[in-house]
Amino acid sequence: MNSQYKNLSELKRYFFDQETARRFISFLMKKAEVIAPHSKGEKSFAYQVTTDPDQVVLNYPRTIQPLKKFFLPPRETLLEYDLEKNAIKKPELEPKDRIFLGVHSYDMKSILLLDYSFKKGNPESNYLTRREKSVFIGVSYQSDEYHLAEDLGIDIHDVSGFSLFLDPVEKGFLVFEVDEVGANLLNEFDAGLPIDTPLEQDFSERKPKLKMHHKRLPQIFEHIYHSPVWKKVAERCVGCGTCNLLCATCYCFDVRDEVELNVKEGKRERYWDGCMLNPFAEVAGGENFRPTLDSRTRHRLYRKFKYLTEQTGELHCVGCGRCSKYCPAGISLIEIVNDLIDDYNKQQKQAVTLV
Amino acid sequence: MSQSESNGKPKVAFFDFTSCEGCQLNKLNFENELLDILELVDIVEFREAMDDKAEEYDIAFIEGSISTPTCIERIYDIRRRAKVLVALGQCAVSGGINAMKNAMPMEEVQETVYGNDKYLFPSIPAMPVSAVVKVDYEVRGCPMSPPEYLHVLKSLILGRKPEIKDYAVCVECKLKENECVLEKGMFCLGPITRAGCDAICPSNGQYCTGCRGPVSNINKNGAVEMLKRYGFSTEEALKRMKMFNTNELEKEIKWGKE
Repeated sequence: MNSQYKNLSELKRYFFDQETARRFISFLMKKAEVIAPHSKGEKSFAYQVTTDPDQVVLNYPRTIQPLKKFFLPPRETLLEYDLEKNAIKKPELEPKDRIFLGVHSYDMKSILLLDYSFKKGNPESNYLTRREKSVFIGVSYQSDEYHLAEDLGIDIHDVSGFSLFLDPVEKGFLVFEVDEVGANLLNEFDAGLPIDTPLEQDFSERKPKLKMHHKRLPQIFEHIYHSPVWKKVAERCVGCGTCNLLCATCYCFDVRDEVELNVKEGKRERYWDGCMLNPFAEVAGGENFRPTLDSRTRHRLYRKFKYLTEQTGELHCVGCGRCSKYCPAGISLIEIVNDLIDDYNKQQKQAVTLV
Repeated sequence: MSQSESNGKPKVAFFDFTSCEGCQLNKLNFENELLDILELVDIVEFREAMDDKAEEYDIAFIEGSISTPTCIERIYDIRRRAKVLVALGQCAVSGGINAMKNAMPMEEVQETVYGNDKYLFPSIPAMPVSAVVKVDYEVRGCPMSPPEYLHVLKSLILGRKPEIKDYAVCVECKLKENECVLEKGMFCLGPITRAGCDAICPSNGQYCTGCRGPVSNINKNGAVEMLKRYGFSTEEALKRMKMFNTNELEKEIKWGKE
């Protein structure tokens, strides 16, 4: 059943009407830089620095780029060099107070997973500096056809990682106090008295999208390396890499040197990269270790459901649905995983018949 | 790069073949960088801007496709005298727009253009420069992308191998967090077209016309199916994909390659 709801019911909660919520955003903007979802283009959304509380959109399916863009920017200068003086200069990064408002639970989870990836081994100082003073305020969302988070064990109302959590209700929001940072914010804002009636909970049963419990997924990935599903996906895939770039937990990057026109000074820049792209597994001499789209899709999914899971014990897909929603070829992750499950079940059946 | 010149600067030349010369003109539009470029190199041949000539070149930039017998003679001559040869712009890289004629009967094409005088103007199918001589590096696009051209120029001066991108325009669009053009109901070839333009068209309310040619591992059927999802017929999809890329998409006229 919905265990996270129990979690919510243990938290202190307040009611903000729309006007109070607006005032609260203004209050947050005075405390720190507030980053929240905004409308982008005709029907898309993007996390942006808030300059006007009225522009913040708290009812949105998902943003184009995930939250990682604030910790691992799409393009970033790592250092500047001077070939004549043989000198380098690293841009100074200072930890900065930032409040991320209106974050969905799966995006929060993706940051917790990236924390692992960037702390392990050689800690990545740029990521960790940007991460240091970040406060997150969550919001619940309506699951659409692309969301898979609940099936992967990340509840809509999962509050881990957040300081406060908003749940839209009629004429306003329920504001849940999750940790001390959140409590201090509410206190300073003068949020009034908490609601003391018991929380009404919705225990309605959800229809699962995956044909198997998420805890069993890493195990089936032991058996489907040679599945025909990969080739089937590759027939439709055009290899544009959108799934990698917009993935909330993909963190691969490429580093390039570019010199100025005086061919003396230059910059070393880091860009997001992706394992679906041609140059990713290419080495000197032109050999490519994953030349085909089926082997790349397989690698991409194994990174989400097996390789990293073996290290952390957690699935590294958070079910945000970006790879499926923004895939120009309309390839759905849910479909791929379900096809793999079918293939696995078929294999198991055959094994039994052979015995 | 070895400098064969008394002033120590590499000798650079620009040549135009069958094209609109837009790529060459584009280079003159670098008003901010033009003087810096002249500090680095010695431009010895550039019909669009000057009339000096030289016997040999450290870098020869070739614009335009090969579409007449005279073109073949000229490009052989230039190749002999050039240490590094760079195809500049889509006509030189793949035949570009000119190659559209390759999909039509040659007689008909010549008649349409020259009428009764067609026999005075011998014409052959439009070919990329690489179909005739060895091309060392390519700068794609219609017109060629200025930042990429500068990257190639700087790399060659430093003696580095230029990095030519072989992934889709989608990548550059996603790095900029643009709303997807296909999502907006427009046509777009971004998912299969080579990056390097910094997704300039989709970033400015246009769609990608595929002017930089397809990525090296293009999934042609996948691309047609993709466009069908957004309501474009197979015919329309193929027609638009071929606009700049007839030679690359029509296997039967893959000049000199494979």
